[in-house]
Amino acid sequence: MNHFPEAWGRPRDDVYGAYNSTYLQTSGPKAHTTSPAVTGTSVLGVKFKGGVVLATDNLASYGSLARFTDVKRLRVFGGKAVVGFGGDVSDMQYIDRLLESIDIRENYSSHGNMLNAKNLHTYLAKVFYKRRSEFNPLWNHILVAGFDADDQPFLSSADLLGTTFSSPHLATGFGAHLAVPILRRKFPDERGIETISREEAIEALKECLKVLFYRDARSLDKYSIAVITQEGIDLREDEQIEGQSWAFAETIRGYGSQTS
Amino acid sequence: MFRNNYDNDAVTFSPQGRIFQVEYAQEAVKQGSVVVGLVNKTHSVLVGLKRNAEELSSYQKKIIEVDSHMAVAIAGLASDARVLSNFMKQQSLSSKMTYGRPIPLDRIVTQIGDRAQTNTQHYGKRPYGVGLLVAGVDAAGPHLFEFQPSGLTHEMQACAIGARSQMARTYLERNLDKFDGCSRDELVTHGLRALKETLSQDKELTMENTSVGVVGLGTNGKMEAFKLYEGQDAVPLLEALEQADSAGAGEGESMEVDS
Amino acid sequence: MTSIGTGYDLSNSVFSPDGRNFQVEYAVKAVENGGTAIGIRCKGGVVLAVEKIITSKLLKPGANKRIATVDRHVGIVSSGLVPDGRHFVSRARDEASSWRGTYKGPIPISALANRLGGYVQAYTLYSSVRPFGVTSIVGGWDSEAELAVDGQVGTGPKSGAGGKVEGAKVGGPGLFMIEPSGLYWGYYGAATGKGRQAAKAELEKLDLSAEKLSLHDGVKEAARIIYVAHEDSKDKEFELEMTWISSLDGPTQGRHEEVPRELLDEAEKAARRALEGDDEEDEGARGSGEQMEE
Repeated sequence: MNHFPEAWGRPRDDVYGAYNSTYLQTSGPKAHTTSPAVTGTSVLGVKFKGGVVLATDNLASYGSLARFTDVKRLRVFGGKAVVGFGGDVSDMQYIDRLLESIDIRENYSSHGNMLNAKNLHTYLAKVFYKRRSEFNPLWNHILVAGFDADDQPFLSSADLLGTTFSSPHLATGFGAHLAVPILRRKFPDERGIETISREEAIEALKECLKVLFYRDARSLDKYSIAVITQEGIDLREDEQIEGQSWAFAETIRGYGSQTS
Repeated sequence: MFRNNYDNDAVTFSPQGRIFQVEYAQEAVKQGSVVVGLVNKTHSVLVGLKRNAEELSSYQKKIIEVDSHMAVAIAGLASDARVLSNFMKQQSLSSKMTYGRPIPLDRIVTQIGDRAQTNTQHYGKRPYGVGLLVAGVDAAGPHLFEFQPSGLTHEMQACAIGARSQMARTYLERNLDKFDGCSRDELVTHGLRALKETLSQDKELTMENTSVGVVGLGTNGKMEAFKLYEGQDAVPLLEALEQADSAGAGEGESMEVDS
Repeated sequence: MTSIGTGYDLSNSVFSPDGRNFQVEYAVKAVENGGTAIGIRCKGGVVLAVEKIITSKLLKPGANKRIATVDRHVGIVSSGLVPDGRHFVSRARDEASSWRGTYKGPIPISALANRLGGYVQAYTLYSSVRPFGVTSIVGGWDSEAELAVDGQVGTGPKSGAGGKVEGAKVGGPGLFMIEPSGLYWGYYGAATGKGRQAAKAELEKLDLSAEKLSLHDGVKEAARIIYVAHEDSKDKEFELEMTWISSLDGPTQGRHEEVPRELLDEAEKAARRALEGDDEEDEGARGSGEQMEE
C-alpha cells in the first residue's frame, strides 16, 4: 500500500506482477469495428410494373445463435420509400435514427420537395463511404426501394464500403448467391419490369425466402414484406413462410448422420 | 441637436423596440440600382438595371447564377452579395452532392435569412447591406423570394428593390393578375416594362445596361436551366418590349393600356 | 420615458439603479408591435394561430408561414421581429434533435420550453448580444401512449413489468409562452403581439382551466379571437394562419400540422359572422348603457 489513491485496491505488484496497461495506450493505431456483432441476413428486392417489393426475415443472429426473432429490418421512410437492412443490427438502428432525423427535418416545411428513394440512396451511400474512409464502417448492406424523381420504380443497393449497385432485382448477403439466380431465371433482362405484375413479384420473393430458409442457417421462417407503389406502402411484418417441404433434406449427403 | 444614441450598433434596441443599424442597412439597399423579379406558373424572371461607375468602366453585375436552377439579383453592397451568393453556391452544390437533389428554394433562402439574422444580434458584426431577389425552380415549381438585410425573407409573386423601385412595384401591383396567364416571353416583357418605369427621363434600357435572367419549367414539365441574357443576347428581349409597347400605343384608346 | 438619457438603457446586461434591464424592456416593445399570436390548450390538443398583416399586395398569398414545426409533435408561433423568431425556432429544432440524440425519443414540451427559456435568458446576460425581440408560444402534445424508442427493431419479451406502472396517466397537451427576458409560464390560453389585450380578455371568457373545450371548438375560438384582436387595426388586411396538434386518437395523431383548409375556412366564416353579430350587440348594449346612466 502506498499513498497513491489510484493504486489502492489493486493487486499487489510483488505478488501478481505489474499491471499491463498497454491496452490503454493513447497513441498508435486504433481499431474500430472489425466484425459485426448482432446481424441480420439477406434482403431481397424486385421491381415490378408500378412499384417495388422488398423482403427480409425477422431474425437477428448473434454469431450462430438465433438471438432475436421479431426484428423488423424493413424501415419506412417518409411514406414513399423503404430501406431494407442486412448486417449489423445496432448500426441499422443508428441509421434508422439518422433517417428519422432527416424525415423530421424534411417536414419542417409542408410544401413539396420530399426526398425520394433515389435521393435517400445517394445520401446513404455517402454515409457508408464516409465511415469506411474513417476506417469505422457501418456494417450493413442495404437495399433502398421506392421511386425516383420521374416517379419510376427505384431499387438500388449500398454496402459498408459505399459501393452501390442497381438492378431490377437485387439481394444482399446469402441471398446474393441463392436468390439472385432464381430471380434472374424468373425475370430475365429481356422481360423488362413492365411485364412483371405485383403478385408475380411477391410470389417470387416468397419463393426466394423459402429457399433461403432451407439453406441459410442464419435465416428464419418469419419474415417482413413491403410493397411500395404510388398508392403507398403495404408493409407486413409478421408473415410466415408457407408450404415448406423438407423432404429434400434426406437426399443431402456429407453432413451429420449421412456422412456418405 | 438631438443625438440618437441607439444607432451605434446592431445590438441596441431603441426605446421603441427598433434596431436602427438594421434600418440603416435597409437604406443601403435603396442606394443600389433597381432589380425586378416576377414569377408565374412556369417561370421565374429577374431583370436588373446595371450601372457603370464612369463612361469607360464596365457595368456592374446585377444577376448572379447560383446553380442551374437558381439565381439571385442584387441591390446594395455588391461585395456583401458576393459573400451571400458564394454561400448559396456552396449549399446548393452540397445538396446536389449528398442527396443528388437541387436544393429547395425555401430551404436556401431560410439559410441566408438565418445568417443575416445572426449579424443583427451580435456585437462586432454588421447587418448585410444588400437586398436580394432569389429566383429559381424546385420540385414545388418556380419561386421568387425577397431577402432583406434584417434577415426577413418573403415569398413573392413579384417584387422590385433598389433605387426608384417604387415605380416598378406600382407597375407590378397593377398587372399582378396578368402574370399567371402569360408566356415566358411575355413575363420577361412585363419585367422589362416594370424596370423601364423606374428610369429617369434621360435614361433608357439598352443592351449595355440591361440584365435578364430566366429559369423555370419547360413545355415538358422538366426544369429549364437558368439562362442569363446580357449584351447582344438581351437585344431581342428589348426589341420585344419595344414592339409590345408600340403595338399597345398604336391601337390607341380602344385597347386597355397597362401603364 | 424615464429610462431615456440615463445611460442605463444603452447596453444590454446593465442594471439601472432601480434594478431594471432596459434593453430587455425595449425588446418587449418590439413584440408589442408584432401581429397577434395565440395558443389554446384544449381537451384533445393544442391550437396555435397568428394574424399576419399583409404588408404588400405582391406577397404570395398563403406562402409565408409563420408557425413553425419543431419536432413532429411541437409547433412554435412568435410575435415580434420575424427573423428573431426564426432564430428561436432553429434553436428549438436543435434542442429537440439533441434530445432525441440523447434519449431516443421526442422531447417533452415542458423540457423544450425550459431549455428555450434558458437560451433566451442567456441573451440578456451579455453586452455583446441583444435580447430576442420575440415572445414565442410553444405548443405540443406529449404522447399519452408508450412510444417505441427511436430505432427500436423488436418488442422484446412479452412477460415482466419492466418497472412500468400500470394505468399511470402520462402525456397530454403542453402550452408555454417565453418572453424576451427568458421568463416562461405554462398556459391554458396564451396571447402575445399587438392585440394581446383583446385576445387575453377573450381567452379568459373560455374557462379553459376546466379543460373541457374540444379541439374543434378550440380552432373556432382561436379564429374568432384573432379576428377580435384585429379589430383595432381594421384598416389593414390580414391572413389567418392556424396549426394544431391533437392527441394520438385525434385528427393529427399527435403531430403538429396545418389546420385543414376546409376547417380553416369554416372557422374564419364563423369568426366573421360572430364579429358582425357582436357589432350589433355592442350597439344594443351601448344604447341600453346610456339609458341606464340617464
